Amino acid sequence: MENTQSIKKRLKSISNIGKITKAMELVAATKMRRSQEIALASRPYAFAALDLLANVSLLSKNDLSELLQKRKTKKVLFVLVASDKGLAGAFNSSIFKKFEQSVKKESWRVRPSKDLEGPTLQTAQTAQVENFYVAVGEKSFNYLLKKGLHVVRKFTNVGDFTTTEQVQPLSDFLVEGYLKGDFDKVIVFSTHFRSALKQEALTREMLPITFNSLQETVREIIPDKGKFAEMIKEQNISFVSDKSKLPEYLIEPSAKEVLDNLVKHLFFMQLYHLVLEANASEHAARRMAMKTASDNASDLGQALNLQYNKSRQGAITNQIIEIIAGAESLS
Amino acid sequence: MKLSIYSLKKILFAGEASLLNCKTVMGEITVLDNHETYIGVLTAGVMKIVETPFGKTQGKEHFFEISSGFLEVRDGNEVRCMVE
Repeated sequence: MENTQSIKKRLKSISNIGKITKAMELVAATKMRRSQEIALASRPYAFAALDLLANVSLLSKNDLSELLQKRKTKKVLFVLVASDKGLAGAFNSSIFKKFEQSVKKESWRVRPSKDLEGPTLQTAQTAQVENFYVAVGEKSFNYLLKKGLHVVRKFTNVGDFTTTEQVQPLSDFLVEGYLKGDFDKVIVFSTHFRSALKQEALTREMLPITFNSLQETVREIIPDKGKFAEMIKEQNISFVSDKSKLPEYLIEPSAKEVLDNLVKHLFFMQLYHLVLEANASEHAARRMAMKTASDNASDLGQALNLQYNKSRQGAITNQIIEIIAGAESLS
Repeated sequence: MKLSIYSLKKILFAGEASLLNCKTVMGEITVLDNHETYIGVLTAGVMKIVETPFGKTQGKEHFFEISSGFLEVRDGNEVRCMVE
């Protein structure tokens, strides 16, 4: 049987670990709630902006903003949104797994074939597709480096709560690069916050912007289950509303310029929300990981406690036997 | 008019207002009751709102500093702004 002293030492260190993980769990839970609230606060803005986009895009039918136009895919930019810190369970690895899976499947190259050319032409084209990578979060940067992939830029130190100022550089970088033609398609890997207990990795084509992806983002601002799920209201935003019903708008400076501007804002909003959601997911994942860790610590503590008591009991019995044996030999 | 001003962080203002003054790319604009439908792009500046002069609000004034945004005057005396 193990030494009583060493068991006591282990017991103490386990209870300390338990305390730490418990504290981290509570902190993560609070942060998760905050991030969720921040994400929900941007909802009215998103609805209003989308509504406006619907109106403006109807008014300026022929000249679409460049961000909305599809072009031949030659260069693809991948953005991996992960966390800065570890200890968040499978949060980061699930994103990387998703990334690897879709790289293998090459699903993003098959998709545009529907509206550009036939699938046979598309496969020939994929041979010359160039890939670039952008890392958001220290962990994804490390991952991409380890894989030996070319990281164009990294955005780290987003912090516990995302602010609009922190997303701005990323958004500017993407929009500028896209307009300059540095890349023809932007695909983002991040985490969708379904509920406090469930998060899943998701892939999204951010550029060129499509109405559907924007609508999807707005819908996803509300988590599926949990505290804020009751807020779901059926919001009808249709992009095919009757033009005749639409009032005559006075648009300054011009419909095209307004649309250009609005699309940029909406793109920013979409990105902002994506990062926010990843942030909330990170906290949720960390909370779960820490909860399991503290559960394990208390289990282990109980087992060790039993072992400690047994060994103490054994030592006492031993001593008594020795005393009795001593007394008997004297008599 | 019914005025609502949204930012990404929160709803800055929602309620009845009698006047809205802000800067657009074309110049300064003041929106009063029953303005015609309008869409404009806002630039950096201060946005001024005067609440309705009767009732609880008593013509209280609000000022918001904005860096960019959009202004939409809709049908039915309704105004919406998205600002940053």
